[in-house]
Amino acid sequence: MKIAAQEAGKSRRARRSEAMILFVIANRMFAISADSVQEIRSTDSLAGSANEIDNSGISKVRHTLERSHQTYYVVNAGAHFGLPVTRPTLVLILRQLRVAVLVDRIERMAEVPAVHSLPRAFEGDERRWYRGLTYIDDHVIPVIQPSGFLTPEEFQRLDLATSAAAQRELEGAVQS
Amino acid sequence: MIAESQSAGANSYVLLQIGNRRFGLPSGIVTELAPPVRLHTFPHTSSLVAGVIVRRGRIIPIYEVAKILLGRSSSAHQFYLVARRGFAARPGEAETFESSAIPVNGQCELATSDLQPCGEDRPPYVSGMLAIDGESIEVLNFDVLLAMETARVTDGSRAEAQS
Repeated sequence: MKIAAQEAGKSRRARRSEAMILFVIANRMFAISADSVQEIRSTDSLAGSANEIDNSGISKVRHTLERSHQTYYVVNAGAHFGLPVTRPTLVLILRQLRVAVLVDRIERMAEVPAVHSLPRAFEGDERRWYRGLTYIDDHVIPVIQPSGFLTPEEFQRLDLATSAAAQRELEGAVQS
Repeated sequence: MIAESQSAGANSYVLLQIGNRRFGLPSGIVTELAPPVRLHTFPHTSSLVAGVIVRRGRIIPIYEVAKILLGRSSSAHQFYLVARRGFAARPGEAETFESSAIPVNGQCELATSDLQPCGEDRPPYVSGMLAIDGESIEVLNFDVLLAMETARVTDGSRAEAQS
């Protein structure tokens, strides 16, 4: 009985931990749940499948990406978090969201035992950006909220910009 | 338990030094004076928050109150005074508390004195005055002080919306 109880305790602990991808932007480390990332690609490998997007008014999104008949908006995570400009080498294509995220590099994978809620002292955009904070190897690392990269209003503006661009392209093709 | 500790320290204040000025905080809300542990920072937009520290497995936000109290950041601080910040209750909810910390220079002492009323010209975060050794010391209302930036931003947005 005792052993079974211990095992149950262990499995409860195991269930609480979560696999995270630790990645770096402008020398700052972030964590994102591995379950929320569908694919990681190098930016070089996407050169042919990315399209520029103009006049969306959202400076952190300059490109779209076509994957499996789905259009993803490519968010420059450095610009999203207000960090210095870098040269991202990787793109994280998110699951269940039409968002791909440009990052500098992947640090490693980690099993995170707990995600602490963001202290209420933080009252700005970070409440949308982060699910919470985690503490790994003497580092406090913000845990990304995947839905925080683009608001519904931003999606709407981007959808309008892309459909307008597609319309212009169609009209150009008809005229030529 | 909290009521007991508050009544026990009704006239008891922790005197702390920020820059070249001394301030008082009711001792009932002070948890500890933390040593100069590592300040962790990450991108955010809350301008009064400098980052977080980890104490006893808990993540505690650090408020750069020197910006409000002195009008500038102060680099002379090495310790963190951890205290309890109350957050006003939302309708249907109880008031909540969160451990919060401010950088201090480590010269903290406990003093017992009667709280004197302060003039209306004092900032809203001053709840009264202490007269100790011929010095007049402002007692801080911790909750109001830490909410100053929120109040400023909210007032700013309100003014912007009205204009």
